Amino acid sequence: MKSVAMIAVGYDGSADAKAALRWSLQLARTLNAKVSVVHARGMLEHLDAASHPDEMRHDLSVIAQECHFDESNLQWLVDNGDACSVLLRAGEEPLGADLLVVGSRGQGKRAGLLLGSTSLAVAQHSLTPVVIVPSSRAES
Amino acid sequence: MVLVVNGVYDDSGHEDPGHPERPDRVTAARAAIEDLQLGRDLIVVEPYAATRAELVRVHAGGYLDELGAYCYGGGGDLDPDTYATFDSWSIATQAAGAGLAVIQELQRREAGVGFVVARPPGHHALSDRAMGFCLLNNVAVAAAALRDQGERVLIVDWDVHHGNGTQAIFWDDPRVLYVSTHQWPLYPGTGSASEVGGGHAIDSVVNIPLPAGATGDVLGRAINEVAAPVIDAFDPTWVLVSAGFDAHRADPIAELQLASNDFADLTRSVAGFAPRPGRLALFLEGGYELEALRSSVRATLSAALGEVSPDDRSHGGPGAEQIGRTQSARRAAIELLHATREEEEAS
Repeated sequence: MKSVAMIAVGYDGSADAKAALRWSLQLARTLNAKVSVVHARGMLEHLDAASHPDEMRHDLSVIAQECHFDESNLQWLVDNGDACSVLLRAGEEPLGADLLVVGSRGQGKRAGLLLGSTSLAVAQHSLTPVVIVPSSRAES
Repeated sequence: MVLVVNGVYDDSGHEDPGHPERPDRVTAARAAIEDLQLGRDLIVVEPYAATRAELVRVHAGGYLDELGAYCYGGGGDLDPDTYATFDSWSIATQAAGAGLAVIQELQRREAGVGFVVARPPGHHALSDRAMGFCLLNNVAVAAAALRDQGERVLIVDWDVHHGNGTQAIFWDDPRVLYVSTHQWPLYPGTGSASEVGGGHAIDSVVNIPLPAGATGDVLGRAINEVAAPVIDAFDPTWVLVSAGFDAHRADPIAELQLASNDFADLTRSVAGFAPRPGRLALFLEGGYELEALRSSVRATLSAALGEVSPDDRSHGGPGAEQIGRTQSARRAAIELLHATREEEEAS
């Protein structure tokens, strides 16, 4: 079984994404793995001149400190595409993540979506193992 | 020459306040048709809701079931870009059926040019997933119908975004040739020159990525130098166009710099690949600045009908130097695929 050296976690700034990131950092500490935090830049985000995904990087530092995670093992990536495709690409070369982590729900004006859910779509299509961090972890 | 368009259907129920993919886009495109004052040369065909049998040629049955149920359950966000409402299933199936109705009329007449004025757009929609404002892949549904009648279908996609859905659907299908010009890098992140089709359809995908700021002269040159030889070898019997107008310099969603009349030149180039009248149909994809959309559709349809457009074109932008790199990347990818396939067949 291949060891887990690189974990890619999807991040959109939502509470669920933060929970997924915390879970990933805790696992990475245990496994001595690196973590790539991947943000999908969608069509509307390109339209919104006020949108600066790099501002989310601040979240990373805060959460890494909370989790006592060495920030030199943490990288921030922004890729064009929908969240599912971007995460699936993270499992391919050149990043070649060994594990994909995603919150069970992401951002969205209306919660409760099932169809099109990033987490389910990633799990359905990925050749890389996927962990879906449940919403209850974010709420707690 | 006649212009065949689908009749109006009520798409007002597929709207999300503030979202750029909105009913006004169709109003702007239809205003462009009225601008042309075609009189009896405008043929309007009744759209119909595409049937399940027509949709499953390109979409997974389970996806169709889920999408329908999701819409009739009230809808919501499918992803941060893409929404559905209670009415979206009905409207999306009408959009897919509008393309089929236009194709059927062109086949009956064996003359004219088709324009499918429908939304939501389609070229990002995958077999089993909505994305990029798209629910059902309208141009793919039409191409698959023609393919299943034995036609060789060329799809040219000049939307500013790569049509990842269309490419994926026909990835390993040698009966459909997909050619795309698009800004890169940009959403959806696919569309590199090295994507050339699957092992059973090598060279059935031609991607021409262009940098932000590229102008119409560069697009024209890229199509002539990169795509035209592949298209000539493919020898299409039908030409469908994913006609997005968000490559216009006024469009807020990307940074290509085309003028409205550049779309006229593109249309003339693409129309030249059709084997005879009645074998060219254009499908509305993107285009979110309403005046630019109206003037671009007007220029496109004028050119499709054989009219000369004024000399107002964009030129001098970056990207010409990238054409050679695109050719090299394509050649390398094709050689690699052939070598891999030969190895597989030998073993």
